[in-house]
Amino acid sequence: MDAYRAAGVRLYALSYDEPDALADYAKAHDTTFTMLSDPDSEVIESFGILNTLIPPDDHPWYGLPFPGSYVVDADGIVVAKFFEHNFAVRSGPEQMLAAALGQEFEAEDVRGGQPVDRVSAEVMVDGDRLPMGVTRHIVATFRVPEGQHLYGEPVPEGLVASTIELDDSDGILSYEMLAPPTSPLTLAGSGETLQTYEGDVVLRLPIAQNARQMQKDDDGRYVTISGRLRWQACDDNECFLPESMPFSFRVEAGFPVLGDMGPGVGRVPAMNGAQHFQRLIDRRA
Amino acid sequence: MEITLDTRGGPSNGPYFEDAEGFNMPEPPGNGSRRIPLGDFPTGPDVGSRLPDIVATDQSGRTVDVHADRAGQPAVVVFYRSAVW
Repeated sequence: MDAYRAAGVRLYALSYDEPDALADYAKAHDTTFTMLSDPDSEVIESFGILNTLIPPDDHPWYGLPFPGSYVVDADGIVVAKFFEHNFAVRSGPEQMLAAALGQEFEAEDVRGGQPVDRVSAEVMVDGDRLPMGVTRHIVATFRVPEGQHLYGEPVPEGLVASTIELDDSDGILSYEMLAPPTSPLTLAGSGETLQTYEGDVVLRLPIAQNARQMQKDDDGRYVTISGRLRWQACDDNECFLPESMPFSFRVEAGFPVLGDMGPGVGRVPAMNGAQHFQRLIDRRA
Repeated sequence: MEITLDTRGGPSNGPYFEDAEGFNMPEPPGNGSRRIPLGDFPTGPDVGSRLPDIVATDQSGRTVDVHADRAGQPAVVVFYRSAVW
């Protein structure tokens, strides 16, 4: 939240809860962002994202949205949105903040403006923990020397597109890779058009941890995420051999903030959850 | 838009169930709160359009008009399931 405030980005979170439930939650968790109450799901319906798979007489579930987030710029225009079909998965705050600031594909200049003669690559996890169901991004930054380029999808047979590949893991889910727009390059000979990147290129692969990893990890507190970057550089005359760079990160697992039905062991702080849940059932029954 | 119910998954440890992506749940997939879509589902206003107006009560009982309240700042608006459960 401090990062949002420092960046001048406002955060609103809307649910079908009653205002007094939000008040208790905010008090229990020292919430500083704005929580909005939409008890009749009017806003949710006006956005066209009411979960219509839930029948109107099924309380308290009816009235839920297909959950997701919108990022708006200073003019109120939607510049990005994040929706996953599985409501156990939601976007991490770092990614939404980067989108709000238009910095998703901005590379930090770590080489201090020094020119390079071949492509170098770096990879990191954006976010220090990986709580179950909250996405983080694996961020790859490629430094491409002047006069050379990399490729984005689709590539013809024989060329390798720049990508982030994950090793198969039962416990880590990955989603569609986010990439900046490519520049078309039409080859003089064949007339074929290729999708290219020049300069510094940032790719982002959203990942999330499911419950399986939590059960399988040796001490339950860390998850390992491994894979490799792949790319192939070309200049105007020739293509270099495809390259690959392995990565492996051991990241603290973390836990999502769950609704508190407490009081009970490990259920702090209390927010009268059971009472508010009963209200959700009774209010429309 | 035709929305398909995701019923993939099955029993897990003890009284729990597990969906196709490895998340535990108290009910079988496709039941109760776990009615999630498989494939396309509506995600509301498109990128490039103005965020529709939102006027709602906040946690302190104040009526908030999001576009007025953000006062020219960028914003993130999260639609989530519930603060209660």
